[in-house]
Parts: sequence; C-alpha cells; structure tokens
Amino acid sequence: MLRFLVRRMLGAVVILLLISAITYLLFFTLPSDPALLSCGKNCSPQNVTLIHKNLGLDQPVPVQYGEYMAGILFGRHLPLGTCPAPCFGLSFAGNMPIWEIIKSRYPTTLSLAIGGAAAFLTIGVGLGLISAWRQGKPIDKIAGSVSLMGQSVQIYFIGPLAIYLFADTLGWTDPGHDPDWSHGPAGSISGLILPCLVMSVIFWSNYSRQTRSLMVEQLAEDHVRTARAKGMSAAYVFFRYALRGAMGPIVTIFGIDLGSILGGAIITESTFGLHGLGQLAVSAVTQTDLPLEMGVMLFSAAAIVLFNVLIDASYAVIDPRVRLS
Amino acid sequence: MRRLAATAAGVLVISAMGALGACSPPGGGLGTGAGGATASVQTVRLGAAADSAGPAPAVPGARRGGVVVDLEETGLNHLDPAQVYVNREQAIGSLFVRTLTDYKIDPRTGRTVLVGDLATDTGESSDGGRTWTYHLKSGLRWQDGEPITSSQVKYGVERLYASFETAGPEYLQTWLSGTDYRRAYPGPYGGRSLPDSLVAAPDSRTVVFHFRAPHADAPYAMALPAASPVLPSKDTRTGYDQKPFSDGPYKIKSYQPGKEMILTRNASWDPRTDPIRNAYPDEWNIQLGIPQPGLTQRLMASAGQDRNAVSLVSSADPTQTPTILTGPEYRGRTVSQYQPFVDVFTINTSRVKDERVRQAIMYAFPMKQIQITLGGAAQGDLATNLIGPTVTGFRPDDPFGKLAEPAGDPAKARHLLRQAGVTHLKLTFAYANTGRWQDVAVILQKAMARAGIDLQTKAIDATSYYSLIGRITNTYDIYRSGWGADWPNASTVIPPTLDGRQMSDDSTDYSHLHDSRVDSEIDRIDAVTDLTQQAAQWEQLSAYILRHDTPEIPYLYDKYFQVYGTGLGGVTYNPAIGTINPTTLYVK
Repeated sequence: MLRFLVRRMLGAVVILLLISAITYLLFFTLPSDPALLSCGKNCSPQNVTLIHKNLGLDQPVPVQYGEYMAGILFGRHLPLGTCPAPCFGLSFAGNMPIWEIIKSRYPTTLSLAIGGAAAFLTIGVGLGLISAWRQGKPIDKIAGSVSLMGQSVQIYFIGPLAIYLFADTLGWTDPGHDPDWSHGPAGSISGLILPCLVMSVIFWSNYSRQTRSLMVEQLAEDHVRTARAKGMSAAYVFFRYALRGAMGPIVTIFGIDLGSILGGAIITESTFGLHGLGQLAVSAVTQTDLPLEMGVMLFSAAAIVLFNVLIDASYAVIDPRVRLS
Repeated sequence: MRRLAATAAGVLVISAMGALGACSPPGGGLGTGAGGATASVQTVRLGAAADSAGPAPAVPGARRGGVVVDLEETGLNHLDPAQVYVNREQAIGSLFVRTLTDYKIDPRTGRTVLVGDLATDTGESSDGGRTWTYHLKSGLRWQDGEPITSSQVKYGVERLYASFETAGPEYLQTWLSGTDYRRAYPGPYGGRSLPDSLVAAPDSRTVVFHFRAPHADAPYAMALPAASPVLPSKDTRTGYDQKPFSDGPYKIKSYQPGKEMILTRNASWDPRTDPIRNAYPDEWNIQLGIPQPGLTQRLMASAGQDRNAVSLVSSADPTQTPTILTGPEYRGRTVSQYQPFVDVFTINTSRVKDERVRQAIMYAFPMKQIQITLGGAAQGDLATNLIGPTVTGFRPDDPFGKLAEPAGDPAKARHLLRQAGVTHLKLTFAYANTGRWQDVAVILQKAMARAGIDLQTKAIDATSYYSLIGRITNTYDIYRSGWGADWPNASTVIPPTLDGRQMSDDSTDYSHLHDSRVDSEIDRIDAVTDLTQQAAQWEQLSAYILRHDTPEIPYLYDKYFQVYGTGLGGVTYNPAIGTINPTTLYVK
C-alpha cells in the first residue's frame, strides 16, 4: 500500500512540474509584457525597465522559472518586498503575495465545494439508487426525467431564477454571500444554501444516471444472482454486493468533480457574487494580472492532481485488486 | 446622432450643468429626464478662495447616518495615493485621502468647481507660472489626531520618486526634475530630501513647488491623489498600498483586496476644514468583484441592503439598458453623464502615409453600427472630436460630416482614394480577441469593403494587445485605442497621444504621428499661462490634427450610465474623473 501511494505521489509531482513549466512558458513568453500590464496609464519606458527589475523579469526565462519554483518551496526576496513560502509571486494589484490572496479566497471555495458535493452526492446517488431499486416503475421514469432536466439546464440560467424565486420573491433563503465562519455558522450556512443547491443540480443529474446504470449492470451480475439464490434479502444484496461493485466508477467521477470544484467553481461563484478561487481567476484574467492568473492556475491544477491521488488510494481500499497492480 | 447634436448645441447656450437641476430627483440628486441616456456637457472652472472654505454646503433634505453600499465590478489595484491613477481608486480614495485641491460639486446644480481641499485655495503662481505656492488650512489632522503639515506634503511628493511607485501619474516628478527624475533623486528612504529649490516647506503650513517650466494647470495636477501628504511614521512603503493612513472623513476599518472594504468615520476629521465632503453616511460597505449582470440587477431591484446601494464607477450592463430606459421605476434614479474618455480607432501613420487615404478610412468608418454593437447611446455618444465633452474648450464640430452619415459614406471614401491614386487598397485591422471586438471587426470589414478597401482582420490575444500595438514597428494599419483626460484640460490628451517626439516602443502615441507643426504647437500652448486661452488653443490644435493629419477616428464619447438604490439621496456626478461623487451622498 505504501509503495502504491509513493508511486502515485511521485507521478503527481512530475505532472505538477510539467504543468508549472508549460504554464510559465505560456504566460511569460507571450508577446504581452507583464511590466506594461502592471504599469500605470501613461507608462514611461523608464518605469517599464524598473518594473522588469522589481518583478525579476530582467532575467532569462529559465532563471525566472527556477526562481519561481524555488520561491514556492522556500520563499523569495524581491525588490518590492519579501514573499514568504509558498511564494507564487506578487499580484499587480497592490503587490500582495499571491498566496495571501488565494488563502483569503479559499474558505469560500472550500465551503462551496463541501456543501455542493454533499448535496449532489446525496441527491444524485440517492435518486440513482431509487431508480435502480424500482427500475421500470413510474418512480424510475420520474427520476430519469428529473435527471435529464437537470442535465439540460445551466447554472447561469437556474441561478438567477433561483435567486429571484427563493430569495427575492419568496424570501425563503439568502441570495448567497461569502461565508464568514469566524462569526458563527448560521450566517455562513444561510449564504451557502442556494449556491450549493444550484451548483449541485448539474452534478446530481449526472450521478443519478450513472448510479442507476451501474447498479442495473451490477444487479445482473452472476455473483449478485448467486447471493439472491442463497436466500439473502433483496436489500442486503442491493447494498452489500451491487452498490460496492458500482462504487468504483462513482468515486472516480466524484474525485474529478471535487478536484475541479476545489480549483474554483467559476460560474457558480460569478452567478452568486461569491469571492472564491473561480471569481479570483476571472478577475485576474479581466485585469490581466498575469502572476495571479498563474498562481490560481497552478493551485487549481494541484487540487485536481491531489484528488486524483486520493481517488487512487481509495480504489485500493474499495477494490483490493488495485494494490496488486 | 441627433441627441449629441442637440445636447452639444445646448451647452453653448446654457451654462454648464445648468439643465441638470431641472431634472433632478427629489432630494437634490442628479438624474436624467425621460430620455434617460441624455448626458450634458460639463465645464469645470477654477474656484475662488471663498469656494475653498469649509464646511461643504448642506445637501437639501440630507440627514446623517446609515450605511451606503458601493457595488463595484472590479477590485482596487492600488490604495497608495502615489500609485492611484484610475477613476475607481480616485473616487473611493477621496473618502479617506485628501489632496491639495479637489473638485467641489454643487448638489443642487451639479456645477463642478476646482477648489482648495487641504489648501486654502487653488494655488498662487509666480515666476511666470513656474512657482506655485499652497497654504494649508488650520485644523487639518490625521486619523490619529496628529496635525497635517507642509513637510508631510513634501514627503508625499518625495515618495513619488521611490523605485516601487510605478503605477501613478508622473506629472509632478517630471515637472520638478525632468523625465529621468529617479536619476536626480531616488526617493526619501536613503535619508535624502528633495532640495528646497524644487519643493520647499518654509513653515508648517506653506508648501512651494518650483517647476522647470510654466504649468498653468498645476491646480488640476494638485487634485490627483499624488499631491497628498503622507505621515512618515505611518509610511510602510509597499505596504501603504493596502492600508493608507486617513486624513479624510472615513478611515479603513477592514480591507480584503478584490472582495470588500469597510470604511468607518474618522473622528479626527473636521468638517469645517472641508469644502467638498458632506460625509453623511456613518459607514461605507464597498463590495468589490461583483459580476455583471448581477450588479445592475441588484441596483435595479433595490431590495434589502441594496436599497442604499450605488455603483460609483461600474456602468450598467448593456443588456439591462433598454429596461432601465423604459422602466418608470428607474426614472429619477438613473445617472447618465459623460466620462473623460474618448474612444478612437487609430490609423498607423507610419504605414498609411497619405492623409487622403486616412480621410477615406474616416469617411467609410461605420460609427453608428459600432456604437450599437457596443451597447448603444447609453454607453456613449457618437464622437467627432479628439477632445471629449468633459474637457474645457470642447467644441462639437464635425469636420467630416460623420453625424450626417454615421453609417459611413463609401462614395466619398472611394472619391478620395481615386484622388490619391490608390487602387486595391489592402489594410490590416488588429483587435483584441474578445467577443465585442470580434463583432466590431466584422462590421468594420464590411463597411470598408463598401468603400473598396480590403480590410484583413487580425485577432490578438487580449493580454498582449497593447504590447503589440505599442511597438513602433507593428504591422497593423488600424487598431482601437482610447484616452481619458487626467483633468479637464487637453494638455493631458494631445501631448501624451500625438506628440511625435515621444514615439517609442510602449509609448501611447499609437498613431506614430510626427508632424513638426503639431510638436511645436504643443510646446507653445503648454507655455500659455492663461487656462482659458490655453483651452481654446488646444481645441484649435485638435481640430487641425483631425482635419489635416487624421491620425485617429474618434467614435464614442464614453458615458457613465447606471441606476442607484431608492434609499439614497444627494447623488451627484464628478465629470472630471467620470464617476458618481461619493462625498454628497446620504441615506434617506
């Protein structure tokens, strides 16, 4: 098991290094000059030269990349100030260390991801199990139709609709705001209910269909039939044998989805005006804050890679055959 | 088209902003008439010493208290006054940073006057306009109660020279020490001070600037945040960009970049020293990074805390414009005013050398279709001049008859091309590769084709756009740019964009115009010490450049167009920076 995990972790480190190198090259070898983007309106050539020096852009690209990667591990001393580890550079906006900005945005993204994942996993897998249990019956057909509808709509459509209906008109929920857990959970949870539920719609539709299809497949397997023939109850076989067999693919999809949400749910955050990593990425792009774009991108990539490693590890728990491979 | 002509003609008859009072909502606010998107031309004048005396005139019906919510689409890049150069930072900053001079806006008429803010007046000039003296008012204090002195103003100017102050305006530094000012003085952190021969603080309330050349518009430069004092003991260098020390009516209680800023009252601020700020609300909740169209929808709905919401800077989402213009519930709480920005399409004169060809492009240019694509008249009126309506000396002339033919005049363009002996003209149009400019490229291509011009379009990654068009060897013939006046004088428009001697990579002379007559006129007009005369001469030069050189095709005078919450009163507009003026607002 340990060897398995070490092997996966090493693979993840290599992938992250490759992503960082490609991203760095893409951003910093574009014709755009970060110094010009950081400079004021009527920027003089003298100021451009000075900003190159301040940001370390007067060095060759490989040296810049080396210093950037070393900064993530050990921190950096830049002419504009010290950037403690993990240093992803300084934002053009106020020369703030990018890690500080990511840290300030992460509680929103994490809260949204946990709440949303709980919602879509419970609703999606639950609906799929009901459909599989009662396959061919009216409830199966209703659940299938609801899932199809959920998959057909988009957050930017149902989000404003939900705000108008549930927050503005009926007044049942808060229209959505950033959580502030330091002031107690009540206010934070009320601001997350609508964003989490709306975000979950596009996910649970997929989970519901996947779960139903996998469960139906599993229920037709020989070992399941044998268990039933031995006299085990339908419910026991359903949950003990069929569900365990269907869990592998569901966990795979869940890991990928959770990783990408933790990297920033751009549309949900924009729709509800939440200040998470997704919104940070959008504002970095619109304000052409290249160091911030790069920092957010690397962080999101790390979240996805890390969750893939965790999925691999969970496979080993769910399916012992994985450890042997 | 007709709207602009009517509005502009009206300006010459009525005094600036005079008409606004007639269509103001109850409570002395500012608004538009039934037309909704109509803006008025506004002229800023220099105030007398009496105008600079505090307190600010009371807004009729106003009351103290409440929390104003400001919703902004983007975050603030800088708070350090030496770095602040964009209007959203200037508008919000005016609540906690005071400058030597600033704009005072009459809440009843909307008339804007430049007055002394920290200073007793807009400054005394001597030595032919090279020396400017400012006297500080008595009773000025920092948020910790320490008095504000002239040496702190001098220190604020010294900080402009520091190597980390690279985003702010460079007027004061270059006027004092030339373009290579950092070589002359490295900033105050090495223990050195600027010599008294440049900036002197002979006593605690007097500061004297000795410029290298006459600068009649120094009073306007002193309204930029760069001309504000900094308390040395509170100077955290680069850290000052996140938490500046307040001398205004509010201080920063908390600030999360890109997310939120809470401003609370500064007890040390004395309203008797301040002729500009009424500071009625107890608190400001500035919410940053609020995406569109949600931002506009919140202001339109005006529900809950958004009843007291405004957006100082962010204009309405174009998709909501028709609803705002036609909805009676928005009448009386909609602001539509000109901003100091003029959008232009630049012609690269180092590639398109014949002025008749440039004029042919001008005639063929479909400004009306482009205006519609960019959001219609609410976003900006058709422009025919390089100087915008917020700049003193603006004249609504139309040398190419564009208002009569806003969709373009291909016949006239063909005629000019024939005169120039040009056949099969092929040009390249470069644009930032975003949805709106992709649409514009298609419109422009079709319009040029009608005039017999084969326009090739070249999409450029949006982040690289200005880097590429800023290269003097760029291979594009036409590209879009724009410019906003730093204060209402064309000295901040013509020299930065059309002085051929400044042409270099990354300079803002995107047209590469190099007309020796223009260059010598810039020097001559810059030295004129009477601002009224100077404004008239800038206008004449602007007209000459447009008619004779045609290096740019103006097409839009940008506008601020937005609604505000039903719970607010005293909403006025600052034409000099193109934002809602936060200083007269109150919660009903």
